[in-house]
Amino acid sequence: MKNTINLFLCLFLSGVLSAQQISGNVSSDDGPLPGATVLVKGTNTGTSTDFDGNFTIAASTGDVLVISFVGFSSQEVAVSGQDQVNVTLAIDQALEEVVVTGYGSQREREITSAVVKVDSEEFNQGPITDAVSLLQGKVAGLSIYKPGGNPNENPTIRIRGLSTLGANTSPLIVIDGVPGATLANVDPQDIESVTVLKDGSGAAIYGARGSSGVLLVETKKGVAGEMRVSYSGNYAVSSISQEIPVLSASEFLANGGTNIGNETDWIDAITRNGSTSIHNFAASGGSGNTVYRVSANVKEVEGILNNTGYKQLNSRAAISTTAMKDKLKIDFNISYTKRDAERGDERAFEFAQFYNPTAPIYGADSPFAFNAAQFGGYFESLGLFRSYNPVAIIEQTRNTRNSTDFNYNVNLNYDLTDSFDITVRAAEQRTTSKDQLYRPTTLLFEGNAVSPTRRGFASHGTYDLSTKVYEVFGTLDKTWGETQMVITGGYSYNQINANGMYLGLGDFPDNSLDYSDAIQNSQDLLNDGYVQANSYASPDEKLIAMFGRVNLSFSNIFFNASLRREGSSKFGADQKWGTFPAFGIGADVNSILGLGFDKLKVRLGYATTGNIPGPNGLSVPARNFVYAGGGSAGGATALARAANPDLKWEEKAETNFGIEFDKGALSVDLDIYSRNINDFIIDRQVDVAEFGIDRRWENAGEVTSKGWELALGYDVINNGNMMYNTTVALSSNEVTLDAYPIDRAQYGYLGSPGQNAVTMVRVVVGEPLGQIYAPVFTGVNATGGPIFEDVTGDGTLNTDAGNVLQEDYDGRVVGSAYPDLELGWGNMITFGDWSINAFFRGAFGHSLINTFRAFYEPNVPSQTSYNQMNTSLREPSLGVAQYSSLYVEKADFFMLDNLTIAKRIDFGADKTIKDAVVSFSATAPFIMTSYTGTDPQPELYDALGGAEEGNVADGGAALLAPGIDRRQDYFASKSFALGLKLNF
Amino acid sequence: MKNLYTTLFILGLFAVTFSCTDLEEELRGVITTNISVQGIATDAGGGAGADALEGAFSQLRNTGTAGHTNWFSAQELTSDEMVVTTKGGDWYDGGWLIDFHKHQYKSTNPSVNNNWNSHYGAVNACNELLSGGSLDANGTAQIRALRAYFFWRLMDLYGNIQLPTAPGASVAQSTRAEAFAFIESELLAALGDSDLSDGVDLTSTALGTAKDAYRLNQFGVLGIISKLYLGAEVYLESAAGAKDGTPHYTEAANAAQYIIDNGGYALCAAGCKGINPGKRPDVASDPDELEGFPHVFAPNNQGNVEHIWTVKYDAATAGGFNLAMMALHYSSQLTWNFDSQPWNGYSSLEAFYNSFNGDPRQGYSFIEGAQLDFGGNALLDYATDDGDPLLNYTPFINEIYPDGCRECGVRPGKFSYSQFGRSSMDNDFTLIRLGQVHLIRAEALARAAGDWSLALADVNALRARVGMGALAAMDADTFLAERGKEMFSEAVRRTDLIRFGKYGGTWWEKPASDATKELFPIPFDRIQEGLTQNPGY
Repeated sequence: MKNTINLFLCLFLSGVLSAQQISGNVSSDDGPLPGATVLVKGTNTGTSTDFDGNFTIAASTGDVLVISFVGFSSQEVAVSGQDQVNVTLAIDQALEEVVVTGYGSQREREITSAVVKVDSEEFNQGPITDAVSLLQGKVAGLSIYKPGGNPNENPTIRIRGLSTLGANTSPLIVIDGVPGATLANVDPQDIESVTVLKDGSGAAIYGARGSSGVLLVETKKGVAGEMRVSYSGNYAVSSISQEIPVLSASEFLANGGTNIGNETDWIDAITRNGSTSIHNFAASGGSGNTVYRVSANVKEVEGILNNTGYKQLNSRAAISTTAMKDKLKIDFNISYTKRDAERGDERAFEFAQFYNPTAPIYGADSPFAFNAAQFGGYFESLGLFRSYNPVAIIEQTRNTRNSTDFNYNVNLNYDLTDSFDITVRAAEQRTTSKDQLYRPTTLLFEGNAVSPTRRGFASHGTYDLSTKVYEVFGTLDKTWGETQMVITGGYSYNQINANGMYLGLGDFPDNSLDYSDAIQNSQDLLNDGYVQANSYASPDEKLIAMFGRVNLSFSNIFFNASLRREGSSKFGADQKWGTFPAFGIGADVNSILGLGFDKLKVRLGYATTGNIPGPNGLSVPARNFVYAGGGSAGGATALARAANPDLKWEEKAETNFGIEFDKGALSVDLDIYSRNINDFIIDRQVDVAEFGIDRRWENAGEVTSKGWELALGYDVINNGNMMYNTTVALSSNEVTLDAYPIDRAQYGYLGSPGQNAVTMVRVVVGEPLGQIYAPVFTGVNATGGPIFEDVTGDGTLNTDAGNVLQEDYDGRVVGSAYPDLELGWGNMITFGDWSINAFFRGAFGHSLINTFRAFYEPNVPSQTSYNQMNTSLREPSLGVAQYSSLYVEKADFFMLDNLTIAKRIDFGADKTIKDAVVSFSATAPFIMTSYTGTDPQPELYDALGGAEEGNVADGGAALLAPGIDRRQDYFASKSFALGLKLNF
Repeated sequence: MKNLYTTLFILGLFAVTFSCTDLEEELRGVITTNISVQGIATDAGGGAGADALEGAFSQLRNTGTAGHTNWFSAQELTSDEMVVTTKGGDWYDGGWLIDFHKHQYKSTNPSVNNNWNSHYGAVNACNELLSGGSLDANGTAQIRALRAYFFWRLMDLYGNIQLPTAPGASVAQSTRAEAFAFIESELLAALGDSDLSDGVDLTSTALGTAKDAYRLNQFGVLGIISKLYLGAEVYLESAAGAKDGTPHYTEAANAAQYIIDNGGYALCAAGCKGINPGKRPDVASDPDELEGFPHVFAPNNQGNVEHIWTVKYDAATAGGFNLAMMALHYSSQLTWNFDSQPWNGYSSLEAFYNSFNGDPRQGYSFIEGAQLDFGGNALLDYATDDGDPLLNYTPFINEIYPDGCRECGVRPGKFSYSQFGRSSMDNDFTLIRLGQVHLIRAEALARAAGDWSLALADVNALRARVGMGALAAMDADTFLAERGKEMFSEAVRRTDLIRFGKYGGTWWEKPASDATKELFPIPFDRIQEGLTQNPGY
């Protein structure tokens, strides 16, 4: 408390009192040091240097200035009347880069697992709205894909590809030491660094949730000294990056289309130029042993689809202090995020693609009598299956989500002795959201505007998620000569609670108001069976672990080992606990052999980690109550899911070998790994005669994942005036299914209309996952039917998709959903006050199923009221809609992901605004690809869960059905931004 | 001393935390045990209301008795009664519907898989009730008979099936003859009579006689066993299509006779009527009431005098009867004011429609011709593919694939539709009704004696009910045609065609098919996990 008062006093007084202004410069051998701390010893007066290493400070004769900077030895300078102090700091040889590795940190050279740290200077630039986009393409083996430009959709993150089929596939996010956090609650501008633990031996200390890798996020902290205030802002304009061509109105009519007398570009009618504006404010400072940082971040995003976007406010405060003679360190972080999202309806993209281009937007423009008032003034083509005016959908639907994230964490670290300390950590994260949907009585699409009884639909849903973490661990650090031993041991308790409710109902009197805010007016309340309502609450979902780790380093040989015993409430009574060991060994070959490089290190790691299923309650059966109906209250239950009391931990064993090499301007990091996932957990169709229902979660099989990652860095130019550094990150990965109860299966339904029971992605034991399977299209016959290849050569064609698993089926693997190679190529050029950051990204070898084309490109003679895709791959004479290789396209791409040109302007340390950076950024301005869809980025899982309307989705089927570019997907966008950063 | 406190503090801290290793999972909001609640009977027709048996009887809906992709589809789409044509980009669905029509189905056919899964799910619901030990003798008899009925469907479809009698048990595959014997013994046990060949003696049965068509009484179970016995020559045959199994026609005839003599049911004829829930006030040709035959299947057919055993369907509380959606054109929504748009799938075949040849049951069974909306105005199909925007259901169908015209094919309408209907219908679906029992008696007597004239009396009774004159002569083909007119849309046609040796024949867009197609294949996944496939697949 006293420190806090001091802090505020200091903040207040530091601007008022001044004895003598001393200015100066801090530099290193390489040039000026911006951000170095200058402190009057024994006081709370301090400042830090600007971009050119300059500072000004008030001090009196007799004071001592302490000048410090991370990685350098501090210097002290006595003030004796001089008004200029110039200091050159020397690199602290004892200090090397320290990397946070989970429950502690290690010197970079002693790490024996595959770990990559990305600092804020290396982050992607521009109008970045989510934290993971900072890293896109930066780390070999870290795949971040967000197909489409939906501002309300989160990217898919994978480390080393697929790590499990039925459990969690996303890496564990650890923010300031707190595991299980969500990145949505951290503003990109508040992140200091992200450390990626790629392999099992590195992530093993985090157990089950680290099984798919770990992202350790460190937020920015305060720096001692007077308060520093900064602002950064971005304003970006975005547009569709690639459209799927359709027949124009005249082409449509020439093709025999039904004429409704107008001309409408439906994509144009539902889209706009999107915009993103971002404002970040931060203030930090501190005195003595207390530092603080507070920030506020405001974002407003308008997506390219009309009525989609969000507004977000995020604020964060971090304070650190010490007590008890500096033996107790206290860190407290708190953050709050509020987001109001307009989610719109991205299915409008689909309807816009095939809606009749001669149809009018508004009913008043109809050439025939049309009751426009019934449809809110919009035109609708009635009597057609699944055809809806997309403008009517997007302009009449309200689809909002209001969410808040709140979290705090307290971290206490106490030095019991010089070599032993103990840390206690408590954290909670709370997410609440409220969804509202309103389809007015005049909306045909899901608003039932033609129904006499069911006009209008409203739904209301809430969701509440709480994650609690409590951890305690001790660290013993002993050094004997060149031998150092660090032992860490601790306990971790994690509890998740989720609950929510949903209410959906319809039949409203009129459109005088948005009835999602007045659902009591629904006539459905008076009719049996129309109101949809559900609520749920999870059990206390617990994960408890005891862990220990030993790090040993003998001058140039490093050894790490850890053991984690972990229990989950999700398994049956006898299967709750698992024990998972990890080992790693590394050698500084350069020093041992005296090779004279800057670095040559080899390392080998092995770990087993466990994984748990997503849902709770799998060890017991789940039942639904079935009311008899007909006015009586009785009924009985029916089985909804079979129990599996034997369900046990999925186990992943991973071996990783790495080489790190630095010499002069060149650095090379290579990692090779193999992962074996045993007893993987999946919800599968089982023998109903045995289990009573065909669905059950099981430990069903085994997959192996093999791959490599190569990171190259080179300083092409590095002289006083100009610096050009280029980095290349390459990675490759293949996942093979080794065992599964059935030899082959198909997932990923194409869907309605007309393509139910058409599965597209094949799973075969002994073969790689991600196989896109299809009949092989070779041409069009005289009657407009497709000609397929007789793949089996048996003289008969068997290409009906319903028989795709039969031995004599004439199909083939026509593409892989996963890339063979992923590339990130960064280029950073600085000269004088200018900097250019050009980042290219690519993925090669993957294919996508273009479902827009599969449904809507065939020239079906009887479908004259639907428009058709008109890509370069169109077969104009093909009159039959049937899934085939024709719609599977290579989706290799190479794109300029981000180009940022920035200029720094110095106003001087004595000015209100000390310096500024003005930047121009382009995000995805160009992309090289032959893919005719809107976005060639890999689809790592199926957004529709591996199924479509009317078909039960397999748990895990979503992961087993990658590579499907769904027609519901939001179009991709490109953007151009202006940015401004100010330091006060 | 200070170190001691510190050490104690640490030990205490670790002791507290490490002792917290409780991983008990206390589920909220998940029902994990079977519960049942007794309700109050409110149904018309003496319905028993809800009881502990509801979970099992509701499986009649879950097995798609009158929905898309399960029992109804398997019985109707493989027959000459109904077809789903591919209509441009719609209704191809991987070809399974066409495969059903052309008898080219394989083990991966989705409906083959769905039927298997849903029917074994139904068997499990019965097994759970039986193993729960809470049923009285009557309940036990009903559920054993119900389970036997589900096994009968499985045996009828797949032949060599599994016969699990307890939940969670993995059992070996039985032969079709073993399945027949088991089903027969279960039904006989429920009836308390070991042999029906010498007449029916129900003195020791636990089954009742009360008329509740949503539950099984003595007459319902006799109806089931009569269907089993009627097919014995097929079910017990030595090879596919041989039809040389031991006949049980006498037992079938005795069972049917007993129902007719003792059940107290009547054919719904003049005076058996209700208001017409499909009536459009402005359309004079819509009758105000449905009387006789059409009332047996009407939306308000609950408690009809002809019903022995039905599936209870209710638009709001017992969904799954989706025929309005499955069959009608999108625009027909405006004829009945449906709450949602139909799917335009199922229609009847032209030859089958024509076989009615002026029988009033033709008008009762099909929706044909130009369509009017609720107000009596012509219904328009804006997306017409024939140049004429009027919606007009024609008996003619241009092709099955790929561009079946969207208003071709008369639509099934025997289970008639109500105004303001929902995607699920209110009509109760007839599993055993007196009209069918007459047909079973007629056929069993005729086949037992080898004399089709013995079927005349029952067939003529059914003809008389709809105002048709009596036939003077009868043969197998005539009988099958009469059975078709009476039983259309009641999900029996596939079994009938097999029994009459017609299943492998040809009809519109249907080539001759091999006798092995009289059995469905065992689903692909089950073969992968060890079951033996039927011959011919």
